[in-house]
Amino acid sequence: MTEMAKDGGARSGGRRAPDLRDLARQFLLLELWVGLWVTLKNQFRPHITVEYPKETVELSPRFRGVPRLRFHPETSEELCIACHLCETVCPDDCIHIVSEKKPDGKGKRLVSFEINYERCCFCGLCVDPCPTKPLTAIYMSHDYELADYQRTGFVAPLKHLLDGSDPTEYKE
Amino acid sequence: MFRTEEMDINMGPQHPSTHGVLRLKLTLEGEVISDIRPVIGYLHRGVEKLCEHRTYPMIEPLTDRLDYVAAISENLGYCGAVEKLMGVQVPPRAQYIRVILAELQRVASHLLWLGTHALDLGAMTVFFYTFRERELILDLFEAFCGARLTYNSMRIGGLYEDVPAGWFDRVRHFIDIFPSREKEYEDLLTVNRIFKGRTVGVGILKPEDGIALGVSGPTLRASGVNYDVRVAQPYSSYEQFQFDVPLGANGDTYDRYLVRMEEMRQSCRIIRQALERMPQGEVRAKVPKYIKPPAGEVYHVVESPRGEQGFYIVQVAGEMPYRMRFRAPSFVNLQALPTMCKGQMIADVVAVIGSIDIVLGDCDR
Ligand code: SF4
Ligand code: SF4
Repeated sequence: MTEMAKDGGARSGGRRAPDLRDLARQFLLLELWVGLWVTLKNQFRPHITVEYPKETVELSPRFRGVPRLRFHPETSEELCIACHLCETVCPDDCIHIVSEKKPDGKGKRLVSFEINYERCCFCGLCVDPCPTKPLTAIYMSHDYELADYQRTGFVAPLKHLLDGSDPTEYKE
Repeated sequence: MFRTEEMDINMGPQHPSTHGVLRLKLTLEGEVISDIRPVIGYLHRGVEKLCEHRTYPMIEPLTDRLDYVAAISENLGYCGAVEKLMGVQVPPRAQYIRVILAELQRVASHLLWLGTHALDLGAMTVFFYTFRERELILDLFEAFCGARLTYNSMRIGGLYEDVPAGWFDRVRHFIDIFPSREKEYEDLLTVNRIFKGRTVGVGILKPEDGIALGVSGPTLRASGVNYDVRVAQPYSSYEQFQFDVPLGANGDTYDRYLVRMEEMRQSCRIIRQALERMPQGEVRAKVPKYIKPPAGEVYHVVESPRGEQGFYIVQVAGEMPYRMRFRAPSFVNLQALPTMCKGQMIADVVAVIGSIDIVLGDCDR
């Protein structure tokens, strides 16, 4: 049993018979003044509203926006080796990969790589098994503004995934 | 001639104070409630069935969407269940970080509850203040796992990665400032005569009724029943922390409020201990790439902010569960609503629903 259980009745103030002090307190509306004092104090605290979209918040480095693909940081080649692991683990079946044997016979390369953002739940599971070094080929980018007028706009082809999508001007 | 008769009215499913899509069929005698029947299922997505066609790692994002205001508790319960089934030992550092995350989540969930509950009862100010502090916690979660609501923060066998640099200091800063902020909510509500008038003696749940209905969590503890899963069946090394389980005396709406307020303080205490004794080392146990647990059944419970959250898995063979079942605390606690509300005024229903703290995503699954 904790402290609160022992004096539970006392803490839940209204339960004991009111004495003279309580009556005086009630008459002076003391508890209302206490509440008003709290709101007054908060008037002078810094303003925390962010006026999106005029201003935006700073995202933390691990923020999970839409998944994208990236190039090798030094050689600028495509990192993805078309191993299909991300396609396998994705819980929403939103990755669709077509690959072919490389002409020189070693390994595979991408023919097309699509992510359907309509289905994606931004869970980040696709990044987990990606085997490429030094960075994972697929990563969670910081883009989160995804509005579009056409449903086809949500299926990102390889070019968009690598270069980032064109900035949407919200005009039809 | 005048005559009186009972009247049936619907409250919801689009009533704002039902915190989701809950429909209540009220039978009224004047303003007094003679019967109340909750109708649920408007948010049913068939998550249990979906789980049968997904591999174990793929299920974790689904658990985020059960109780979406306390997703980390669900992640923790689900991963714990699968780890139990596989016999995986989670590294101590991962267990401690999980405890910090779960307790921060408890504070965030209670803050959301407090804000909306007070809003239902007409105290608008508290809502803005609690959401301001909840935002700080969501920022911490975003820094840790990259998401602000559906975290998918853990992996079977531990965590995806260790905490970012400076994260513990940010948590420490939060638990340093939080008690003074909680004092402010208390100043606004605990002694406020309007709040007390709406809550004291309203929606009383007797301890024996609570146990008979299977109620759990703060709703049960407010009736004075000392049952907390963290103490009764410790998981994720909760047995190594000292904390009190706050209990109420009368089981009314006001006691449920007091219990949750005290729980937030105890959560800060647990987080402080975890920060002080944080072990070093790995955060992810060695688990096979393709998770194929041995055949068997497992039931694992955690104390989510709403109560006893259970995960029951039947595994036969392969990478997918044969059957998955969630014991949703909101679903069970909602059953106590008719018991609490009978004989009360219609305006009290809003106060009582708020005080059970249900989340319909959890309730309907
Ligand atoms: S973030 Fe999740 S849902 Fe989206 S593509 Fe990756 S694995 Fe699939
Ligand atoms: S897991 Fe990585 S390397 Fe394999 S197909 Fe996906 S993005 Fe390419």
